[in-house]
Amino acid sequence: MDRRKFLSVTIKTFFVILGVITSAIALITTYPFRIKKRTVKYFPVMDEDELPRRGVKTVVFSYKRQDRLLTTRAFVVNHANELYVLSPVCTHLGCLVNWHRKKKQFLCPCHGGKYDITGKVLAGPPPAPLTRLPMRIQKGKLYIGMKV
Amino acid sequence: MGKILDWLDSRFGIKAPHQRFLQRPLPKRLSYLYCLGGVAFTLFLCLLFSGLLLSIHYVPSQDEAFHSVVRITREVRLGWFVRSIHKWSANLLIVFIILHTIRVVVHRAYRPPRELNWLVGAMTLVIAFASGFTGYLLPWDQKAYWATEVGTSMAGTIPLVGKYLLYLVRGGPEVNGVTLIRFYSLHVLWLPLCMGILLWAHFHMVKRQGISGGL
Repeated sequence: MDRRKFLSVTIKTFFVILGVITSAIALITTYPFRIKKRTVKYFPVMDEDELPRRGVKTVVFSYKRQDRLLTTRAFVVNHANELYVLSPVCTHLGCLVNWHRKKKQFLCPCHGGKYDITGKVLAGPPPAPLTRLPMRIQKGKLYIGMKV
Repeated sequence: MGKILDWLDSRFGIKAPHQRFLQRPLPKRLSYLYCLGGVAFTLFLCLLFSGLLLSIHYVPSQDEAFHSVVRITREVRLGWFVRSIHKWSANLLIVFIILHTIRVVVHRAYRPPRELNWLVGAMTLVIAFASGFTGYLLPWDQKAYWATEVGTSMAGTIPLVGKYLLYLVRGGPEVNGVTLIRFYSLHVLWLPLCMGILLWAHFHMVKRQGISGGL
């Protein structure tokens, strides 16, 4: 190996190593540094005597996630003698669905997803039924579990 | 790797003209003093890169700026390292530009036909000072605040236009969140853009005029 070739290889190697180190630093630094596992926490949303006898009732409630007050809504459904809570988040791309009383369907405004009263997909792009949120009734109040 | 680059270059055609430049014979009297400008440019690249990384975590707002800098230093992985690189490169950049300037003065490399390149270099130094001054405010702590308070009030002492200049720089009568945003914008957009254009001109003229033979 002559002098010229040796220098050329050395310089190229130096720059490749430099590139690798800087890319590593860039990746390590820019990767999010506060990723916490979310745990389910229960929040009171309504009194027990306000629960729907039949059909769908929309509740708007606030809960705290990392000291931040968030307001969201959920559907409390009493159908075929079963009480459950449906998340309004469409399983397609995360828009919020609305309950259409006449059609008896949950309609997504974004891409036309349709769900029936149990959350099952009737039409449109959603890949999965609406999520059922964990709930419990305690001391005369309905609690909904949210991931915080 | 070489094949891919060749494929790109056969379309882009950047290799041949630069090869002529990079492999040209150099005057015999060159010494390491001729590297000072190159060192300054390397420091500029370090600043550019570390600055890009810092800008991902920095929040330019009155309420958040200080906390985001604390977060960068304490919580972001290698954040302390990137911030230190930025800080020390900034200090060294000024030092090396001045050393480079002294070298040019001593070798009288500012004489025709290089007088325009001397002017461009001087403007680069001014932009570097401006970047240092605007960057100093961004941590938004006591030292930054008072340094900017004092530094900008110097603009106010200029006769006739002083007051308007002061308001223009501060974005109002006093240093506050508006000033922070102004300085942030200057520091990350305006000044690096000017610097890039000036450096391109600087290197272009070095390429065209060749390295001065010295004394």
